[in-house]
Amino acid sequence: MEPDIKIGLEIHVQLNTKTKLFCSCPTSASEPNTAICPICLGHPGSKPVMNSKALEYAAKLALALGCKLAPTVTFSRKTYFYPDLPKNFQITQHELPLGRDGKIALDDKSIVGITRVHLEEDPGALIHKGNHVLIDYNRSGIPLCEIVTTPSINSPSCAREFLKKLNTIISYLDIFDPNNGVIKADANVSIKEKGFVRVEIKNITGFKEIERALTYEIERQKESEVIQETRGWSAERGITYPMRKKETEADYGYIVEPDLPVFTIAEEWIQAIQSEIPELAQERAARWEAELGIDKSDAKIIASNKRVANLFEEVAKTTDPILAARWIRREVLRVLNDKGKDIKETAFDAQHLTELINLLRDKKITNRIGQKITEKLAEKAFSPKAYVEENKLTMVGDEDELESLCKQIIQDNPKAVSDYKSGEKKSLQFLIGQVMRATKGRANAQLTRALLEKLLEN
Amino acid sequence: MIKEFAKKARAGSIDLVEHTRKAIESAQKINEEYKYITELGDAISRAQELQKSAKEGKAKGKLFGVLITAKDAICVQNLESTASSAILKGYKPLYNATVIERCLEEGAIILGKTVQDEFGFGGFCTNVGKGYSKPKNPNDKKRVCGGSSGGAAGITKKADFAHIALAESTGGSIANPASFCGVVGLTPTYGRVSRHGLISYANSLDKIGAMAKTVEDAALLLEIISGADPKDSTSASTPVPEYSEIPGTVQGIKIGVLESAVDERCDNSVRKAVLCAISKLEELGARRINIELPLNSKYALAAYYILALSEASTNLAKFCGIRYGAYDTLNGTYNDYFSRVRSDNFGDEAKRRILLGTFARMAGFRDAFYTQAAKIRTQLIKEYKEAFKKVDVIITPSMPTIAPTFEHVKKLTPLQSYLMDELTCPPNLAGLPHISIPCAEHEGLPIGLQIIGDHFCENKIIQVAKTWSQISK
Repeated sequence: MEPDIKIGLEIHVQLNTKTKLFCSCPTSASEPNTAICPICLGHPGSKPVMNSKALEYAAKLALALGCKLAPTVTFSRKTYFYPDLPKNFQITQHELPLGRDGKIALDDKSIVGITRVHLEEDPGALIHKGNHVLIDYNRSGIPLCEIVTTPSINSPSCAREFLKKLNTIISYLDIFDPNNGVIKADANVSIKEKGFVRVEIKNITGFKEIERALTYEIERQKESEVIQETRGWSAERGITYPMRKKETEADYGYIVEPDLPVFTIAEEWIQAIQSEIPELAQERAARWEAELGIDKSDAKIIASNKRVANLFEEVAKTTDPILAARWIRREVLRVLNDKGKDIKETAFDAQHLTELINLLRDKKITNRIGQKITEKLAEKAFSPKAYVEENKLTMVGDEDELESLCKQIIQDNPKAVSDYKSGEKKSLQFLIGQVMRATKGRANAQLTRALLEKLLEN
Repeated sequence: MIKEFAKKARAGSIDLVEHTRKAIESAQKINEEYKYITELGDAISRAQELQKSAKEGKAKGKLFGVLITAKDAICVQNLESTASSAILKGYKPLYNATVIERCLEEGAIILGKTVQDEFGFGGFCTNVGKGYSKPKNPNDKKRVCGGSSGGAAGITKKADFAHIALAESTGGSIANPASFCGVVGLTPTYGRVSRHGLISYANSLDKIGAMAKTVEDAALLLEIISGADPKDSTSASTPVPEYSEIPGTVQGIKIGVLESAVDERCDNSVRKAVLCAISKLEELGARRINIELPLNSKYALAAYYILALSEASTNLAKFCGIRYGAYDTLNGTYNDYFSRVRSDNFGDEAKRRILLGTFARMAGFRDAFYTQAAKIRTQLIKEYKEAFKKVDVIITPSMPTIAPTFEHVKKLTPLQSYLMDELTCPPNLAGLPHISIPCAEHEGLPIGLQIIGDHFCENKIIQVAKTWSQISK
């Protein structure tokens, strides 16, 4: 059955090599035009020299996406005139991309086909300042990996999911630095009711943006006449706008890049790269589900962040894996989210987290205390066990002790008690809160609730 | 002889500063009349520095104190290098080409840059860029030098000081002017010499080579500049023999004579001279075997022009008045600006080649022209390889005529002038080493003999060329 919406994506990922694709300039520089040389400026007489690391990274991604690798690495010149392109041609791959015929499976089991994965150089950056345009060539020559999908994505949310999945794979491969580089997407989108006339949207950055841009564009196509064209996406205004009409495909006059030899890809090299690819998120989550009985959604969320996933695996070795998964998903990720930090920027470590989860498992502390300790563990490493003992934070779980405390609270709060008795059930929550306050969060919450309910029955 | 000069200079028995001063004076005088040099380097300070090291007994290098000129397309740090094009006016490279570095390591002195057809686009050195003067043939000022390395050939012939020239060939730009001016022009195998620092014409064809008065001197320069270079991924790691030490002998050498190259299309005088030279080599023990290269004869020229111009049209895209070289006031759109700078500064032949090359790689035409030409090149190389199973070297005239007059060249259509490359194009397209040596004179003008070898068999062409130079003395 033909879908109502066809979306294809073209994604550019900046590879986090130390040096550029064809010269030894660094890929990170703060001041404009400081990481440049005759090669990335296209000076007369300069010749490109291949960065083999970039080739490795791109091959790794192609293999991780299930692509077949080409027998040789061949580069081409794509000629067009633009001030940010020093040679007025870009060295890219044309006839023979590095990888072909890969795929990513979405959660609904639908398959997004990947047509090609190839390596190319980034142009420089244009900076518009008032009436002037400045050019920063620091970016010129940074290796880019381009991933092109078939138009097999059928909704904006699937496009978002695809990008997320791709991003997870990229982060597992350690070939992209989110703090330094960007992932940019161009999308082509067409709808059945307008005869699948293709519109291309340029330069969308981020998961949320891709969904927003596509949602907007599909609505626009439904409501207006659609012509084959290239549109831009304005994140501020939340609209796509016309950039240029596309009567014919642009003619880039591709020729083979004659300054670079054709490199043959050896089977051993492919095997070496393949062996460096770690178990990826989707397989990992499936394995946890099957082997450890981890909740599907916990497994997926933890696995999607490689470092968090590694931490979980470490912790799960010596404590209850289900509890560990739940705790890491809810509490550790909450703390990371609140702080807006990556796990490697925090003090979280497996040993102390395991200790904390053991305390929770053995009901030595309440969830509330557990949460507070989790927050502290993000800041610095310490022994939760010693900390609990030192600060007398052990859970009050003794029934007699709790019961007398509950009685006291009931006596002290006649208003809440009468409210509860007249049917206002949320007053119970207030009373539980009072018990917690009196114990500084150490009361066993379940037991407290049961005790209060019992006492208030009478 | 360069070797002897360098030896004496190292020993301190030559006053290098004085020799260099005289060389500059002489070069300037020659230049006033013949227009070979576009830019002079600071040769005196270099000579002083070398002289000092000789006095301290630290002199070393095979080119110690020798004056070198570089074809303008070869980058020399801080010395205007424009490939004789107005669009690069004022461009001073930030670095030395690898060949320059290697010559400097051997104690050479850079005398200056030699004029050429703009970006190498020509066979007569009459297509110099706007603002450049056309060099005149050292044997007759009414005649052209040949191209594109015309300035290099002219100064090599006229220099009355210790000098060798770095030249460059894409489709015959060394053999052609060497033949017309009467000097030795040695073009190596593609990849033998690093192209790092060479302003590209057609990257898959460009070869830096040597010009000198003698075979031995050209061979000496080649042995210095040859070898792998990490800065040029297409440079070959094949070991470099001591080319200058190769003795001249043709005993048992099988010479392939390309019959179609010595037929009626060739001037009578040229044909006679070349056939006569071949007979003399036979007398010395060489064996003549007649061969034909039908595919090369038919397709090499067309395939060469398609590939060379396709590549050239992309190489020249970078010259747009933004980062270096000629520029203009900024107004209009980017495209307006680029078009204005390029229209004003490229010469007619450069524009013609950009248009032809762009056409040959356009969608819809690419398969019929560019892709087809690339396939044909493979076939043409194969044909040569088959021939080299039977012969050691192939001999043809370098050019079908002696140097034409400026007057005559003016009347040629572009196609007629491209046809002059008929003999030099095939070995260049196949990336084969070849040498042009003077073999006779007609009306006081030199005739060049072209000896072609198999890939990386420079030794064989040098060996045959040396034999010839010994008997023709």
